[in-house]
Amino acid sequence: MAPTCKRRVSGKALANGSVGVIYQVFENVAEKYDVMNDSMSLGIHRVWKDILVHKMNPSPGTLLVDVAGGTGDIAFRFLNYVRSVRERQLQQKLRHHQNLSWQEISKSYQEEKSNPLGDSQVVVCDINKEMLKAGKKRAQHLGYSEGLSWVLGNAEELPFDDDKFDVYTIAFGIRNVTRIDLALQEAYRVLKPGGRFLCLEFSHVSNPLLSRLYDLYSFQVIPVLGEVIAGDWKSYQYLVESIRRFPPQEELKAMIEDAGFLKVDYQNLNSGIVAIHSGFKL
Amino acid sequence: MLRGAAVRAALLRAVRGAPGRAGLGRAVPRAEEEEEEEEERQRGGRVPLYPGHIPTTPLQKALLAAGSACAALWDPYRHDMVAVLGETTGCLALPKLRDRMRNDPEGYRILQERPRIRLSTLDMARLGGLPDGTLGREYIRFLEDNKVSPDTRMPAKFVDDEELAYVIQRYREVHDLMHTLLGMPTNMLGELPRSVLPTDPSDGFWPIGIPDPRPREVHGEVSSIPVPAPLSSVICEVVVKWFEAVQTGLPMCVLGAAFGPVRLNARKLQVLATELLPWAVRSGRNASCVLNVYYEQRWEQSVESLREEIGIFPPPAVCV
Repeated sequence: MAPTCKRRVSGKALANGSVGVIYQVFENVAEKYDVMNDSMSLGIHRVWKDILVHKMNPSPGTLLVDVAGGTGDIAFRFLNYVRSVRERQLQQKLRHHQNLSWQEISKSYQEEKSNPLGDSQVVVCDINKEMLKAGKKRAQHLGYSEGLSWVLGNAEELPFDDDKFDVYTIAFGIRNVTRIDLALQEAYRVLKPGGRFLCLEFSHVSNPLLSRLYDLYSFQVIPVLGEVIAGDWKSYQYLVESIRRFPPQEELKAMIEDAGFLKVDYQNLNSGIVAIHSGFKL
Repeated sequence: MLRGAAVRAALLRAVRGAPGRAGLGRAVPRAEEEEEEEEERQRGGRVPLYPGHIPTTPLQKALLAAGSACAALWDPYRHDMVAVLGETTGCLALPKLRDRMRNDPEGYRILQERPRIRLSTLDMARLGGLPDGTLGREYIRFLEDNKVSPDTRMPAKFVDDEELAYVIQRYREVHDLMHTLLGMPTNMLGELPRSVLPTDPSDGFWPIGIPDPRPREVHGEVSSIPVPAPLSSVICEVVVKWFEAVQTGLPMCVLGAAFGPVRLNARKLQVLATELLPWAVRSGRNASCVLNVYYEQRWEQSVESLREEIGIFPPPAVCV
């Protein structure tokens, strides 16, 4: 495939982390985003995202907003999860009502067909048009049509009303937000009372040996992968540096509590390479 | 290279002075300095030496070389990967090439003046107006026929010396001229040079610069001499790569030369092995360094005379 003409992003601009520059970075990486994720994390990012959705444990009827959801990884997993829960619910219902007439049984089959998601919905919100485009294409390719909406929006200023969503997730996105406190405040605003905030993000490894191996891998291998696979060294150098600059687990927990969330906790995955932070609006 | 960074860091510290003491510069908090050093060390311990330079550690270079080789083999249209492979493996061959340029008067001038072959520096209209058979005219014809532009060459990124970066850049920009000099156009279906070809286009391709010995159609009779069929673009690229491998010694050329013919059929391989490659290797050995020719000052020279001057033998006429 011939290399596409990409706008070069200067290293200094990347270091300052302005919104426009980050936009360009993700514009450059959108096409190869999923391939790069698989090769950089050796496919482990899929397990991390699976764990996030299992921790969420959504029931049918949940309204989820996935911010910085780009290519739709969390959204698709949510829909799969909710669909399988719904199927199990309907099967349970049938089993408990052994004395149903044939008409009632066939009605319940129709119900299952007409509402496989049980009114669950996910809104994928991303600041970058290219990422949303890539996500929509993927959804079409994988056959997701129902219960999915794609919205262009900034995590620091969400285009939604207050108290709308049951769950707010942001997976590997909060690192790229310039004002994390604003994003957390927005998350608090759009969640319903009782709603849950979930954040999946790279964090700090405390184990010194693992930390050195992780640093070596990050700084030596990942930009090379970026150059070889996506033809873009600088964007992946930026990625690795932005991970180092991100606040560690306890600091992020304090920031989430500052935004008003309660029962804030975090779970380390892979000794802290990745952490899931969770909080409730009560 | 790491030593260099340590020396520079020590100098900086000496200039800035420890916090509290009267140093020559502002007292910078120790933590910030350490962070900067840490980042520099992680980036390969160097600052960019020229626009577009990405400093890399030896480990990164090794990984890049392996990765780009795999990527180029996997997808032959990844020209950027071929370029990266050339840069990361050329650390021995490039200095030798640079020294050969330094030791030659014309090459030395090129290193001083640093001419670039780009659309902005070439006067395309003037070159197109030159007589047929001149270097300028045939080069423009090559660019037009193959719909390539000299601006598509990647700038050097991973070469850690500014002069060597120019040498590899010059090598890339001269590649198209190599095609012209060797008479190896990569596209047979475009317009063919009228001055050196028979008037009947169905007769196919004849290399540039060789008088056509085949008899023209006379009184309706068609010549019985077997007509050479068009050479495929892969064969042309392979021949040029072999020539360049002999001339420059760049590992990337050697790899390209070795792996290029892999996907060709037996007939083409035979033509390559028996006629084209021996000629390319002989010419490469006999010719002086092609990077030592100041092409920008020789547009009016005819291709034939330039070939003689450099020492490239006339290309063979082949049947495929």
